[in-house]
Amino acid sequence: MSESTMNAPITNTSSPHASFPVQLFLVTRRTLVTIFRTPSALLPPIAISVFFLVIYNSTLGTASGFIPNLGTNSYLGFILPLSIVSSSLSGASVAAQNMVRDIETGYFDKLLLTPISRAALLLGPILAGALILGLQAHIVILVALLMGLKSATGIAGLYAAIGLAVLLGTGFAGFTVSAALGSGSAAATQGAGFIFFPLTFLAPTFVPLELLGGWLKTAASINPITYVLEAMRSILNQGWDGAVIGRALLACLLLGTAMYALAVLALRVRTRRR
Amino acid sequence: MDERGVVVKDLAKRYRGDVIALDGISFQVEPGSVFGFLGPNGAGKSTAIKILTTLALPSAGKATVGGYDVVSQADDVRCISGVALQEVGLDPLLTSMELLTIQARLFGMNSSDARQRAVELLELVRLTDAVGRRVSTYSGGMRRRLDLALALVHEPEILFLDEPTTGLDPASRRDVWNEVRRLNQSLDMTIFLTTQYLEETDELADQIAIIDRGAIQIQGSPAKLKASLGNESINVAFENPRLAERALGIIGSSYPGSRLDRDTLRLYMSGAAAAIPEVLNQLQAASLQPISLTLTQPTLDDVFLKVTGQSLIEDKIEAEPQALMA
Repeated sequence: MSESTMNAPITNTSSPHASFPVQLFLVTRRTLVTIFRTPSALLPPIAISVFFLVIYNSTLGTASGFIPNLGTNSYLGFILPLSIVSSSLSGASVAAQNMVRDIETGYFDKLLLTPISRAALLLGPILAGALILGLQAHIVILVALLMGLKSATGIAGLYAAIGLAVLLGTGFAGFTVSAALGSGSAAATQGAGFIFFPLTFLAPTFVPLELLGGWLKTAASINPITYVLEAMRSILNQGWDGAVIGRALLACLLLGTAMYALAVLALRVRTRRR
Repeated sequence: MDERGVVVKDLAKRYRGDVIALDGISFQVEPGSVFGFLGPNGAGKSTAIKILTTLALPSAGKATVGGYDVVSQADDVRCISGVALQEVGLDPLLTSMELLTIQARLFGMNSSDARQRAVELLELVRLTDAVGRRVSTYSGGMRRRLDLALALVHEPEILFLDEPTTGLDPASRRDVWNEVRRLNQSLDMTIFLTTQYLEETDELADQIAIIDRGAIQIQGSPAKLKASLGNESINVAFENPRLAERALGIIGSSYPGSRLDRDTLRLYMSGAAAAIPEVLNQLQAASLQPISLTLTQPTLDDVFLKVTGQSLIEDKIEAEPQALMA
């Protein structure tokens, strides 16, 4: 009986507590404040994404003429989605790092002793992380525009790409948050974040999917990053394609559902009274 | 028995591997009193406080806080208790004002009430000067005081303090003591505190329980516990050991518990205070002029030594196994 009492949101109306939206607002705002106060964790992912965008574009861009099916004359439009995706993957750790810091400082326990719902404790940092992801994607796209990017679908397409980056990053954030809650250790959480790095290469990273072969093609076809990359490329270089975008949304949805089931489980284990 | 305090009955906590952290303890804390839970590291103090503050579940037994059951009415317990745990749980990146307003708003206050409450509390714990600074710049004593302020945000009826002064310098320790006294006396708050320091319970607590190896060894008021030992002494110091020796020869026979300690004659007895005039008269009759005369009452350390067979000496505590700590 005790576990269900502990894990359930506070429903006792006689006890003073904030409404759920207020709780979520407080936790999200507080997470954003701490993120902006540690710029050393915030800036490198953006810097690295911009760096790769410039490097890939200038080293591979001139040699891209032989690649068929690029769908555009510009390699920039082909490689930009990779840059956006890699920034959103490194950004996916932001929420988890914040959470593990709270566990280590004991602030997490302090919050548990207030009438806060467990859902707000989980969703607040993730919402803050999503806002940061969106911000990072804006910066990377802004740099690409300065480098001469022309979007086939205009401003709306750029925002669609940002939206996909946020969805994908938030899905992966569910995984790093689970690692943070499960391990309570900063090192383990950082390790969990590194798992995504190879995933960006088990995808049609530098050439379109049709040019991949063998096991790499198989791996790429079950990697959600593949579908997000393809959708972003299609939007930026060709135009709106419902089927491609639909596949990307479905991939994000499946990823998100699996990761959040894991995160809820990890939260239950962490906050269970023993 | 008053329901509004803390009532603990046969409370036990076992961890995997047959580690017994609490072995069926019982005690009660009267509302409005200060209760000192005293014991060395690993005795079970933190386990008890974690159960009482709803962070852990008991393996057996029952505990109520303010009349609410800590297992089945955990939310109610949390709403009427304030908790400052041993590890100060503060986010070093936030300011004291931010931490306090978040806490106040989670307890249902609106934005302006929360701010006002934060200002009040910062004044109470004398951190007004540091209000805009991040907690990372605070000293250990300031962090403890801020943690105390956080525990007080929702005006709890009962305050739980887990080793509130461990690791503090003497001046900060005294600050915390004054604060605890003030809260108890001016707000009539019930205070449950755990400590390794005898001096602390002697200063603050109305009632003490000494816990060791998961069991309560003795409980009562500090004065009662000390009196139970009956080991007071009158200490008469002389200019040199020769004079002390002469004094022993003259009045030693009247006090069988007397002992010579270099230039000091120690007379052990019960009811020592009442015997002082007679001792002085006898010395005067023998023309012996003492340079000082003091009265020693048994300390809680003596009590502790008697009930646990060990002294609460710091380096000994460090060596204690940590296995029982929750």
